[in-house]
Amino acid sequence: MSRPQTQIERTLSLHATEAPGRPVEPEEFVEVEVDRLVLLDMAATHPEFLAHLPRRVHRPERVAWVFDHLVPAPTVELASGLVKLRELAARWGITSVFDIGRGGISHPLMAEKGWVRPGEILANTDSHTCAAGALGCAGRGVGMLEVMSILSTGRTWFRVGETVRASLSGHLAPGVAGKDVFLSLAGEFGAIPGRNIEFAGDGIAGLPIPTRQAIATMCAEISAEFALFPPDARALDYVRARVPADEPLAPVRADPDASYAAEWRVDLSGVEPLVALPNRVARNVRLVSEVAGVTITRAVVGSCANGTIEDLEAVANVLRGRRVHPGVVFTVTPTTSDVMAEAARRGLIDTIVAAGALVTSPTCGACFGGHMGVLGDGEVCVTSTTRNFQGRMGSPNAKIYLASSATVAASAVAGCLADPRGLEGKRP
Amino acid sequence: MKLVGRAWVFDDDINTDLLYPAACFRLPVEERPALTMSANRPGWSREVRPGDLLVAGTNFGTGSSRPAADNLKALGVAGVVAESINGLFFRNAINTGLPVLEAPGVRAFVREGTRVEIDLDTGAIRSEGRTLNVRPLPGFLARILAEGGILPRLRKEGYID
Ligand code: SF4
Repeated sequence: MSRPQTQIERTLSLHATEAPGRPVEPEEFVEVEVDRLVLLDMAATHPEFLAHLPRRVHRPERVAWVFDHLVPAPTVELASGLVKLRELAARWGITSVFDIGRGGISHPLMAEKGWVRPGEILANTDSHTCAAGALGCAGRGVGMLEVMSILSTGRTWFRVGETVRASLSGHLAPGVAGKDVFLSLAGEFGAIPGRNIEFAGDGIAGLPIPTRQAIATMCAEISAEFALFPPDARALDYVRARVPADEPLAPVRADPDASYAAEWRVDLSGVEPLVALPNRVARNVRLVSEVAGVTITRAVVGSCANGTIEDLEAVANVLRGRRVHPGVVFTVTPTTSDVMAEAARRGLIDTIVAAGALVTSPTCGACFGGHMGVLGDGEVCVTSTTRNFQGRMGSPNAKIYLASSATVAASAVAGCLADPRGLEGKRP
Repeated sequence: MKLVGRAWVFDDDINTDLLYPAACFRLPVEERPALTMSANRPGWSREVRPGDLLVAGTNFGTGSSRPAADNLKALGVAGVVAESINGLFFRNAINTGLPVLEAPGVRAFVREGTRVEIDLDTGAIRSEGRTLNVRPLPGFLARILAEGGILPRLRKEGYID
């Protein structure tokens, strides 16, 4: 009898370059074939990349290049970097270039464009690539140097980590979001460097794909290696609608008797709006109601985790018929061009702008303190982006609270941290 | 591979935004290392000396894919030992040729300013006459380190210039 495999163990085992299909075990290192690779515009800022270009690219049709962090380019140097990357893509035969105005933030964008497929291995430089796990795809951020290696060879390695199972039951209450589910896990269980997380339980079926994406994306903040949802009917429907009909999917599931290093249980019905206090995420989480009233100067909705149509809808539902507090600057960043177009069609952008908030083009800008609204000294920000680290969004003397988009919008109206429940008109 | 040096001790959750602030992306490469830990420990990047070792608590290097290990390497840090290390930082460190080792118990074992000896191949860490034994670095990662990181290997195999 071969050892029962978790979803991630099975996925890695099937991609192994040696003896594919042989069961793998925690602590083992496995060399694997990578199905798809995503490069970012950040490549232009890497100290080694442009100086040591790969001579040729392995399977350029399986490589996407996404411009998301430095767009629209805030400096001449960065704009010139993008010029070089466009030339390189053409030279290497990479045709899937998602340029300004035709793309968005890589993780949600790749899912939207059918590049995130269950059972596959997706590599990207960026840490939040675990977002792909929402669709049962083993996505992993591997850094620029490893991406240079994968560009050349099509292969990489992973250390098989132990896996934690997070069993979800029940239904989310109105005004409570995927971000709150993640924060409840991060607050209670803390970081799990080197380990994976697999979601299970009958609570999953009721979670829309953007909610799952928010949860999987945020698992980077507990240092999870992979964060996988099972490829259920809802996930498969989402993917099939985006993948050419003649390309079969090969979803991978955990064996029913697979063993896990730990079992976390979450009753979704009991999750309340939460906030991570400044500077760290893991074990630094409070109920919004406990910190309500803290004065804020900035509110941000966006990022790979929380700029989806679900987020913009939650924001619009709070802002409809209300005004952003005069002491608050509120910026809202849709994740992708398609999300922006959809939000415009549904009138969400009208509602948000009419309330006195700024809607920006899709970009990572503010989330990593790069551009498009960095924080100044002494500012206090509540954000639905991914990180609250000191200095993350600009000045090291600013404070960052992390919360759901609904909580951010409610706080933007109140001028201080505020619970969104009761303010949100209707759930999408 | 053996490392011997003076220890700087840091707490849990030292993240990549502290190691490599976003402002680095707007600076020439040689000016970036000076910003290392500027938010949490201003002045440290001037005090650290080539050959020094960095000891830290759990979840070291949590955060983004930015080449945070490059800043430490450029400051001359000879290696990082931490209670636990984020997988992406760990990979970036190996690939750039910065020795890293996960060592449960090391945060309380080492006092700042003392001399520490780390044997990556046996997992033995020595300080003030005592030894802490941890799981050594796997052979194939030790080989990448010994070659100076992933780029020398890719060059040797003819993949890059
Ligand atoms: S939105 Fe933020 S966390 Fe997500 S990829 Fe961009 S910078 Fe990283």
